[in-house]
Amino acid sequence: MPANDHDDPDDMLDGPIPDVDAEPTAAERAHARAFADLVDKTLAGRTPPAMSADDRALLEVATVIRAASGQVELATSKQRSLVEGALAQAIGGRSPAASLGGAIPIAVAARRRWLPWTVAGASTAVAAAAVIALWLGVGARREPPAAAQHRAVATVRSPDELIGPIAREQAGDASDRVDELFADRLDGYRAELYGGAP
Amino acid sequence: MKRLGVIAFVVVAACTSCTSGSSSSGASGGNDGPSVTQLGEPTEAVGKDLMLALGQAKNLHHRAKVLMADGDVAGAIASVRQILTLRFPAGAPEADDVRADARALLAKLLVGQGQLDEALRTVDEGLAEASRDSFFVANLYTVEGEVREARAAKLAGADATAERHAALEAFDKSLKIDEALQKKLAAEGK
Repeated sequence: MPANDHDDPDDMLDGPIPDVDAEPTAAERAHARAFADLVDKTLAGRTPPAMSADDRALLEVATVIRAASGQVELATSKQRSLVEGALAQAIGGRSPAASLGGAIPIAVAARRRWLPWTVAGASTAVAAAAVIALWLGVGARREPPAAAQHRAVATVRSPDELIGPIAREQAGDASDRVDELFADRLDGYRAELYGGAP
Repeated sequence: MKRLGVIAFVVVAACTSCTSGSSSSGASGGNDGPSVTQLGEPTEAVGKDLMLALGQAKNLHHRAKVLMADGDVAGAIASVRQILTLRFPAGAPEADDVRADARALLAKLLVGQGQLDEALRTVDEGLAEASRDSFFVANLYTVEGEVREARAAKLAGADATAERHAALEAFDKSLKIDEALQKKLAAEGK
């Protein structure tokens, strides 16, 4: 172990910085080849369980640089999971972070996206139907059969039917006839007004 | 959107079918009861305006009766005349009948007061105003006969005879109208 790490030429991190035009040493070539193998294994998903701290630091830097260059491709399952998670979050569902490993399927997400519109549309249709029904008089108070019969009896009779022939001795009894006519029409008026027998 | 359209169509169609069902039953409601006569719809036939006019006529008649009982024939005549000024709903058959009956009473009151010419004029106005034959018009002819009888009693010679003949003609008209109306009502089962 050298007394000063900066003096060890094999120390790639803390050693002296070689000249730009200097030829690589055998140790450097061997170290570069070993690190290249390590990167290839990592990209292939076979990262060694143990490595030196220097190699780990270099490997992380290499991964970041590669990812930043846009060359990274996610697995199909991971891509689908991320897309569905984003869609779910867009329609108000749980965020991907909140649903780790449980991304909402596309079909469910589609239903959730249509549900509010379907409810709103159906409500609008019902409201429109209610307005039309009100306009057309649907649901208006139905007259009880007894009231309808009473009204018919009370109103279909003309004054001639109601009063009948007027005898000579009753020629001046107009007051009595008006009373009778008024009472008859009042029955009909009440039946019409209140929808029931007076 | 297609799904929404289908939902809206179904709801509206259901409501429309309900409406058509209720309206058709309402329109045929007359078939359940007695057939309607010349009167219009019940709401038109028995409306607030008609009841108001009939109520006023009723009160004026009773007022006239009270005045007559009190010996105030002139006041009673004035009260009955007020009935002729009442406003009835347009086309209400009760209007013609109430006015004709008021004129019949008015003519009799005028006869009692010796105002025979005025009584005859009152009857003639009522007959001229009548738009159809009725028992009330027949009653007016009856009263005309009475008025002419009274006039004949005041006349002499040919004038009296002519007036009596006119009285008979009036009574005959009254009888003919009564007979015709009763036959008509009997034929209609009323």
